[in-house]
Amino acid sequence: MKTKGKVLREGVHRIKESRVFDIRSEALPTWCPGCGYFGIHQGLNNCIQKLGLAHHKVVIVSGIGCAGRSLFFTRTYGLHTVHGRTLPVATGVKTANPELTVFAVGGDGDGLAIGGGHLPHVARRNVNVNYLLFDNSIYGLTKGQPSPSSPVGMKSKASPSGTIDKPLNATLLALTYGASFVARLFAGDPDSICRALIEGVQHPGFSIFHIYTSCVTFDKEFKTWANLKKWVHPLPQDHDPSDLRQAFDRVLDDEFSVGIIYKRTDIDK
Amino acid sequence: MAQEHCVIIGNGPAANQAALTLRENSSDARITIVGQEPFPHYRPHLLPEYIAGRLSQEDLCVNTPAFYKECGIKVRLGQKVVHVDFNKRELVLDHKEVISFGGLIIACGGKQRIPEHLQVFDDLMLTLKTPADAAQWIEQLSQVDSVLIVGGDLTSLSLTKALLSLEKRVIFMLNEDSFWPVPLCNELSEKIKHMLTERGVEVIKAGRIKRVTRVSDRSIEVETDNKTLRVGILGAFFGMTPNVKFLARSGLDIERGVLVDEYLQTRFDLVYAAGDCAQVYHPTIKDYWVSIGYQNAINLGKIAGLNLLGGMLSVDASPESIFFVDGIIVNTSWWTEF
Amino acid sequence: MPVVDVTVEVCGMAGDGTIAAGGLINEAMSDGGFSVLAFDSYPAEIRGFGRCVTRSRIGNEEIVALEDKTHVLISLNDEQARSRVPFLSENSMIFFDSNPAVYVREDKSLVSELDPETILFGMPFNDIATASAGTTRGRNLTALGCFAAICGAPHDLFRGVIIRKFKSKGEKVLQTNLRSFDAGFDYALEHFSNRIKSIFLIPDKVGGPKKVLLSGNQAIGKAAIDAGLKLYFGYPITPATPIMEYLATHLPALGGRVIQMEDEIASIGAVLGSFYAGTRAMTATSGPGFALMTELITHGVMAEIPAVIINAQRGGPSTGLPTKTEQSDLHAAVFGGPGDSPRIVIAPTNVAECYHYTVKSFQLAEKYQTPVILLADFYLDNRVENLPMPEASESEKSGSNVLPENSLKGSYRRYEITESGISPRALPGMEGFIFSATGLEHTQTGVPDYSPENHMLMTEKRHRKITGALGDLPSPEEFSSGGKLDVGVIGWGSTFGSILEAVTSARNRGLRVGGLKITSIFPFHESVIRAFMNRCSEILIPELNYAGQLANLIGYIHSKDVVRLNRVTGTPFPPSAILEKIEYLVQVGDE
Repeated sequence: MKTKGKVLREGVHRIKESRVFDIRSEALPTWCPGCGYFGIHQGLNNCIQKLGLAHHKVVIVSGIGCAGRSLFFTRTYGLHTVHGRTLPVATGVKTANPELTVFAVGGDGDGLAIGGGHLPHVARRNVNVNYLLFDNSIYGLTKGQPSPSSPVGMKSKASPSGTIDKPLNATLLALTYGASFVARLFAGDPDSICRALIEGVQHPGFSIFHIYTSCVTFDKEFKTWANLKKWVHPLPQDHDPSDLRQAFDRVLDDEFSVGIIYKRTDIDK
Repeated sequence: MAQEHCVIIGNGPAANQAALTLRENSSDARITIVGQEPFPHYRPHLLPEYIAGRLSQEDLCVNTPAFYKECGIKVRLGQKVVHVDFNKRELVLDHKEVISFGGLIIACGGKQRIPEHLQVFDDLMLTLKTPADAAQWIEQLSQVDSVLIVGGDLTSLSLTKALLSLEKRVIFMLNEDSFWPVPLCNELSEKIKHMLTERGVEVIKAGRIKRVTRVSDRSIEVETDNKTLRVGILGAFFGMTPNVKFLARSGLDIERGVLVDEYLQTRFDLVYAAGDCAQVYHPTIKDYWVSIGYQNAINLGKIAGLNLLGGMLSVDASPESIFFVDGIIVNTSWWTEF
Repeated sequence: MPVVDVTVEVCGMAGDGTIAAGGLINEAMSDGGFSVLAFDSYPAEIRGFGRCVTRSRIGNEEIVALEDKTHVLISLNDEQARSRVPFLSENSMIFFDSNPAVYVREDKSLVSELDPETILFGMPFNDIATASAGTTRGRNLTALGCFAAICGAPHDLFRGVIIRKFKSKGEKVLQTNLRSFDAGFDYALEHFSNRIKSIFLIPDKVGGPKKVLLSGNQAIGKAAIDAGLKLYFGYPITPATPIMEYLATHLPALGGRVIQMEDEIASIGAVLGSFYAGTRAMTATSGPGFALMTELITHGVMAEIPAVIINAQRGGPSTGLPTKTEQSDLHAAVFGGPGDSPRIVIAPTNVAECYHYTVKSFQLAEKYQTPVILLADFYLDNRVENLPMPEASESEKSGSNVLPENSLKGSYRRYEITESGISPRALPGMEGFIFSATGLEHTQTGVPDYSPENHMLMTEKRHRKITGALGDLPSPEEFSSGGKLDVGVIGWGSTFGSILEAVTSARNRGLRVGGLKITSIFPFHESVIRAFMNRCSEILIPELNYAGQLANLIGYIHSKDVVRLNRVTGTPFPPSAILEKIEYLVQVGDE
């Protein structure tokens, strides 16, 4: 009769043999339990494994914030750079060695506030990096300030009477800047993230993954898991990702549809 | 007058004296000297001494450039006045610069007079007015032994002195119109001939020069009415004629030189002329006389300067020291210089 | 062989062909075997109007600085040339148009400004040009022709350069220019035959390598290419933009790329990303752009990633004086950015050093895994010197990455504390050495860690690593006859040329004076500097900044206060000012 312990040990052994988690680092993630980033992280790791990418040929460039910590938990080369500069650094890495698969990872502060000026240019250059924008509409690491994607009226220590500025829509920005691959995703569905990432990595150009996620510690009102699960829904079946105008319409009308919003097929390298 | 611009055309003894006089009597007048030659003010009568090697180039110079700077006198060298507009009270330089003046003293001196029949031989003859001329004499004298002097004005007499000291053979051809504007009377002519011969100069009978040719780079052949000579250098000394062509259409009264009254004033307000370029009215003789020589130039320059500032000095030219000659009156204190 | 040392200026309005004329003088004189150092000034604003002045010092001995005074001024626009009159030496020569299109009043005239000793060469440029070529376009060449004839330059010397420069512009342009030049030359010979000054006697050809004219920026560009630069990321800013443009012209043919980024932050970010991935990259900027880069520079320090940054200093602070020279970024380069962030700062003093130190920067960056900042300045970037075409040896160009041994696979620690402080650096793509670089303080394996002992150890390691670079950095160079000195003059950057000229003059007058050239700003060779200072009664440090930034850095080494000599005029440091101070100090010392 197998004891619970033995079952567990054998299970762990099997997992180790399969090497499926080799992508994971020794160090355990430091995110809060229930953080949306676990899901994203899982999606990313699975994508790397499923594509069979050699780990030493993958570089993750990350910025500052909880999102930026991702690379410490993945067993690939990593470059944890300063706040907001993920995209230009990633540009440098990819241009220097096109053989590498480069992921750029950052939060909504990193990508839309301090780093906002870089997104247009990496998009127009169509640099072949894969950018994961973890959007939890809050600054978690610095303990709960509003971000450029926070809704109007969000209360925090930095905005006790509620925010008054309108939020930015990262997907809309990506489309406006001419990104050639735009996906909007939900951290609660790691498999969809994995699938989208696989397609994006293979896409010969800049791909951006705008991922809705929840900060369980500091956002109890807006992007909670409950709300997100309620709001998020897939894109309609008839959505044609090659149609830019349709993509704009969809995104303008509907803030929480997820899937591959836009993918340009006529890339001139 | 103080704020106005006092301009002096010329950079010779009369011009410089005028400038200094102006400065001595007005500490804040703006004074500019405009000289055609590129040389700083030099003593022209000392050029023969310079040629003789008894003076250096520095000795020729009267004042240092620093001196003028300290006096606040602006000196413009190598710049020629091509036109004067007395109505607008402006003068124009040859590089198209326009200068306004409040007061003007014309002291542009004279230039060598070459008689018409000799002008065709211009490039074979040497004259002596500027340091550049002197340099040419020095250079050529180092290569030759003999000099033929044709004419015989003031300058030629002092140059002859210099040439003799350099032990050159000097042949002198005295002409009637040598001392222009004073035609030589016989008495004067004999006196000069005697003086020259006593000092070892070959004085030859005047004749007209018919032809001058260069035989080699050290020898020139001069053909006259009655003889043909070969010499190293041919020097032409026929006196000076006022250098006032640029004023021809300006409205000034010009005969040979600029006509001025006994106060050296022209017909225009605050415009004077002094030195070799001027013909000065003598109220007693009721005619114009021409000044010759260094001392006269300085004297006239001084008077022009004083009068421009409001003085009323008349030129002191006592009748005794004026030569009476046919139609032309000369103040000749030069006689004692030789 | 008489000494030739002449400073020639061409001054005109934008559109007069001033810069072209100056360039032709430089080339002709260089072809003639003379040494040339030239520095032009352009209108501050971009288009249309403004004064252009070219300034060339020409000599038959090596030239290290510009002189204050100008000996020859060629005026293509008298109104502009008036501004140059205060800089004329005694008995200078002026070439100007004696028949301008309009009359000029005395108060606007060039000639009215001149001292009486100035030697005037007025020639009707417009008329001569029109008569010979039917147009006044070649007027600047007519003026050059006059200048060439009067100064005794051989006719063919300039003609050769004109042909070379204008051949590509078509036969018509070439002929216009040649005719205009010839006409000016002939006119001058005819009308000023008695005033020809044989200034430019061609030195006997001693053989030796042919010289080319290069600006500091061009030298930097060529050096980067020779060092195997593959990627340039930059943002336009005066005076660094020409480096980007030079590379944009030459790099693609060699398989490299120039990518204009959206700002300086992106530029340095991409450079770091590139070096992280193992490819040499570079960016060039000036003070304001450099300030933006400091955060990422300290990231390179902390994460130990190489970078090569050219800071072409200009007048500051802030937007400052974009077209003026200054040396006020030393503090920013050495200390800029948060925290204890030691990095290598190196400063060339002339065009040859601009070349060699840029090449060297790549090796230093890779070996010491740090950003390397090369401090140039507007004067050095834009001035032109003639020198043998600089080349780099194989050993100067070779890669210097310190790679981990295979034995470390699996147990590799990216930030291993070693004796030298240099930890072998794996490059992405190398199997078995996976690591993450981070700007957070970290353990030897690169894991973020804020514990006290770790921070002390890692900080010390990073400092020790940089100090260790002293062996690879150029040592200060002394210019003296050794022994005890009354005054020791220390300097850096383009000012050192002026210092050298002043020191040489002082020594020629018998003063016990010496100069010390500092090119390694950080780390600096403290013991060498101390040894020099100990032999000097007074130490003088002239700099083009207000308070004395090098003096602040190394002044403490001297046993008493150093004497600071500072200028913020936006113009190169005049040797005469340094000489005057030297003489003053010697005199005061004697009393």
